[in-house]
Amino acid sequence: MTAPSRPRLTVWTVLKWALAILVAIIAVFPVWWMINVVFSLPGEPVSINPRLWPTSIAAGIEKIQMIFAETGYLRAYGVSLLYAALTIFGVLLIGSLAAFEFALFEFRGKRVLFAVIMLSLMVPTAVTIIPTYLLTSSLGWLNTMQGLVVPGLASAFGLFMLVQFMGAIPRDMIEAARLDGASHFQIYWHVALPLCRNALVTLAILTFMQTWGNYMWPLIVATRPEMYTVGQVVGLFNAPLSHQTVDVVMTANLLAAIPPLLFFLIFQRKIVEGIAMSGTKG
Amino acid sequence: MAFLEISSVTKSFGSVNVLKDVSLSIEEGEFVVFVGPSGCGKSTLLRMITGLEDPTSGTISIGGEVVNDVEPAKRGTAMVFQSYALYPHMTVFQNMSFGLRMAGSPKALIHERVEKAAAILRLEQLLDRKPAQLSGGQKQRVAIGRAIVREPRVFLFDEPLSNLDAELRVQMRAELMELHRRLGTTMIYVTHDQVEAMTLADKMVVMHAGRIQQAGAPLDLYDNPDNRFVAGFVGSPKMNFLPARIAGSDGQVLKLGGIGGQGAASIQATLPRDVENVEIGLRPEHLRMVSGTTPANGALRLEGRVVFCEELGAESYVHLDLADGTRVIARAGRDAAKMTDTAVLTGDLDRALLFSPDGARMRGATGTSA
Repeated sequence: MTAPSRPRLTVWTVLKWALAILVAIIAVFPVWWMINVVFSLPGEPVSINPRLWPTSIAAGIEKIQMIFAETGYLRAYGVSLLYAALTIFGVLLIGSLAAFEFALFEFRGKRVLFAVIMLSLMVPTAVTIIPTYLLTSSLGWLNTMQGLVVPGLASAFGLFMLVQFMGAIPRDMIEAARLDGASHFQIYWHVALPLCRNALVTLAILTFMQTWGNYMWPLIVATRPEMYTVGQVVGLFNAPLSHQTVDVVMTANLLAAIPPLLFFLIFQRKIVEGIAMSGTKG
Repeated sequence: MAFLEISSVTKSFGSVNVLKDVSLSIEEGEFVVFVGPSGCGKSTLLRMITGLEDPTSGTISIGGEVVNDVEPAKRGTAMVFQSYALYPHMTVFQNMSFGLRMAGSPKALIHERVEKAAAILRLEQLLDRKPAQLSGGQKQRVAIGRAIVREPRVFLFDEPLSNLDAELRVQMRAELMELHRRLGTTMIYVTHDQVEAMTLADKMVVMHAGRIQQAGAPLDLYDNPDNRFVAGFVGSPKMNFLPARIAGSDGQVLKLGGIGGQGAASIQATLPRDVENVEIGLRPEHLRMVSGTTPANGALRLEGRVVFCEELGAESYVHLDLADGTRVIARAGRDAAKMTDTAVLTGDLDRALLFSPDGARMRGATGTSA
């Protein structure tokens, strides 16, 4: 972004700002509406005379307490966090190890293998979900944490992104480490990994967002209530026969949206940096 | 057997032969410089000594032990890269100690070695900095420090000064010579800059097209090159090559005509077989401008059109085109700039070298005037 050097107000500046504000409103309004519905007396925001601001903080807190006390929401939070944490750890570990080899070393069949992995990006999830389910089932992993986590560990997208970053590491640096007596793993651990830290952070955030929002796979593989993720619990609130009023449903939604929102607010600079820098690491 | 022995080494990348039957002996403590144009195989040879490349055939031995199958880190070599190859996420201290840390050396030893190297290279104040906070010269010193810390048997430098500006390069060159004097360790240095090679080397190895053209003391190579390539490569400005025709032979005296299109001279040499044309090699300092039009005693006389004059302060180099279009460079005094369109040159034929058309040196040739 270039800083505006002209103080004069031009039509173009006004239009640009108007557009930016419009986009911001469109993006923020659903979240704001959710907060508005939760922190108001039941029925108020959807009444004939709706208000755009919260009217009762106490009512909201009461609903949150009710959800935590009367449903398995807290357990689902735990399951989801563990599911996300293990997936992030696995994706980073497997992706970075594979990217290290693909980006910095030559081996037989490298190009073909990489092409096959990249092709898998073009196969929609809907096509692979049934075979994956059958495999998971035959391993006896239904309703287990490994059943949730393991099928998502090999991320072709993550590999692609990390290969771009690691490919930019100068060969001299790897050779210098070899001459310094570092083993293959030590080069990975002490040189390659720290040099693509930004990419790893970006991939971790993207994986978190994806895992937290993943609805279909947990729905299929974790059918017992004790293995429900947040997504599934929110799904129950939203179900047609849940007999919940809209404000309670909104509360469940708001609680589910908080972790990714926080994650994004904390790491947003890293996300932008990571995506902008991909492939141009110096 | 020499300390470092390279025996009949070849290297091919697919069908491309980068090094062809290279043999070289290096004594312990020598400062050896590999010099040659880009793509001559000098860096590849260096990388093979350190173990980053394997020879296709032949052996390399260090200290009497063949190291072809020895891991790079265990050969006792340390390399300084052209790009410095410092780890950007580590401090200067961490960069310099990386090798020792990987080897699991005790902390006290690591501190002792790094501090000693830092003192030699005047890096004590910079140990906590990251590479991004250093200047080019400082980065270069850290890269050298990283090599010193490992206390290698052989230091290898791959064009280490080419990323520095001219002034700093001269300064670092002096520092490297001082370092060599102080450590007394064998150093092998790769460069394409023959001035750098001349100033640094105990032994200069000129390479071209995957072969060693000549190895020896820099001044030996300057005065007594084995072939046209070495003669042309060593020295700046480069040697002049004047095409000449063999006009006849009188025992040990070879009569040459058509030198640069017009000159004639006699040179002591035996008549080579099946050769009609030769080239006379004369360095710019052995070509003189003569005032007036006739050189003394009918010596070699060349007339040329002055193209331009490089004034360097103490001296100047005049570039001239001879009658047959050959471009020659002659060293002249400060007044050379006053020169007009044409000038007359005479050559110091005792210093002339003769080269046959295939580029080989025709030895035993000394010239006399025609």
